[in-house]
Amino acid sequence: MTPCSTWGLLAILRKLRSNPDKELRLLLLGLDNAGKTTILKSLASEDITTPTQGFNIKSVQSEGFKLNVWDIGGARKIRPYWRNYFENTDVLIYVVDSADIKRLEETGQELSELLLEEKLRGVPLLVYANKQDLGHAVTAAEIAEGLGLHNIKDRDWQIQSCIAIEGKGVKEGLEWACKNIKRK
Amino acid sequence: MFRYFWALVCWYFRPLIKWFLHHTTQMCELQRICYGQPSGAPRAFAVEETLEQSRNANIRTLVAYLNDIADHRGITTKTERKILEDAIRTVLVTKKINPTAHPDFAKTFGKCVELIWGYRQLCVECEELRKMPYSVDNPEHEQKLLKLWNLLMPYEPLDARVTKQWQEIGFQGDDPKTDFRGMGILGLENLVYFAQEYPSMATHVLSHSNHPRYGYAFAIVGINLTSMALKLLRDGSAKTHIYNSSKTLPTIRAFHQFYCYLFYEFDGFWIDSKPSNMMEFSSIQEKFENSIRIALANPSTVFRINVAVDNI
Repeated sequence: MTPCSTWGLLAILRKLRSNPDKELRLLLLGLDNAGKTTILKSLASEDITTPTQGFNIKSVQSEGFKLNVWDIGGARKIRPYWRNYFENTDVLIYVVDSADIKRLEETGQELSELLLEEKLRGVPLLVYANKQDLGHAVTAAEIAEGLGLHNIKDRDWQIQSCIAIEGKGVKEGLEWACKNIKRK
Repeated sequence: MFRYFWALVCWYFRPLIKWFLHHTTQMCELQRICYGQPSGAPRAFAVEETLEQSRNANIRTLVAYLNDIADHRGITTKTERKILEDAIRTVLVTKKINPTAHPDFAKTFGKCVELIWGYRQLCVECEELRKMPYSVDNPEHEQKLLKLWNLLMPYEPLDARVTKQWQEIGFQGDDPKTDFRGMGILGLENLVYFAQEYPSMATHVLSHSNHPRYGYAFAIVGINLTSMALKLLRDGSAKTHIYNSSKTLPTIRAFHQFYCYLFYEFDGFWIDSKPSNMMEFSSIQEKFENSIRIALANPSTVFRINVAVDNI
């Protein structure tokens, strides 16, 4: 992550200082190879990732404010365990590989199942349309269409295009997430 | 504060102590190390430290020269002899050591140079392999991947290049190409080496990974262990093992061997931990890494792969 975007993140956190000692729980889900761990690592300025067996967690802290980001592996075999992490989630972040058109239907299926979960009811949804740098990537609008986001009526949602590997767009998504929490 | 003060004292008094020891023992510091320290890691560590701290212009030039060669992977079977001879000669001349009076020094010192800069070169080579992404357009990569399947599943042919079968050896989906990610070709080469050099050990571990209760994803865990092995290599923790286990110039083989040891031991560690499911991977892996780091902190540590399994 560039120093510039790190400052951006700190600025968001500072804006939330009115909420001292508040901990936020962000849950990162999506298919394998969507880029969840890369988004997580970009928060800590790390860059090397391996497929996630189990989960990773990172906390970004600033002046009594704590952002706990949970990144759960996306392999089919691990997906049944996602539900163990639903409790007390403040924002659900769903990551989509915009260049993996073949699995757009599969990822949409997983998402609609998540939205039916009782424990995630009303939890704001942020969708990252990742890997926008790849030539055959489809746009965020097309992803939103494919996932049927416009039919969601029971919660706030937002789609954000990003290039996690360069840290681009990640900040903007979190900004939306934090703003949404504040409003609650 | 105390540390800073201590570093300052060392900086001023080291030459004095060295001068005193030089005159009482009639030997320079490198000689005292080469004769006094046990071979392998303890000796190589001490030589490495002395060379790095040296304020002698010739020695500093020598260190910079060796660093440069290693960073360009210039130490090969062809060039090695000359490089070592140059290094030895520089030290003999600079430190005014008579090679006929000290025949063992040259040999022992050369050995240390071989280990220290071989390790440095190994780090560079591993990094190059890591940076090379897996590519479906590269026939060599594709062949290696198919070879991995044939080594692990000799009695079950693949139905297609893209198939659910890959999940049987622990890849995430129908096509392993995206699973190598940050570890690149290094991850694949590690797995192939393990399956090829220790076939019964690898199938033993693979069968554990299919355990109904304590199962895990073999290939994915393998790639995560490549990441761990590389981390230990880069931060220098793996020096203890590599220095103690290498009889000649450490090459990529030394890294593969280190990896095989880690994989086999991790499997046992995982089963012994009785995890409730694979979501416990990160915490168990962390514990495992700590136990390896503790072992590596002991300069006499050398990891031996338990070959008994391979003979069963």
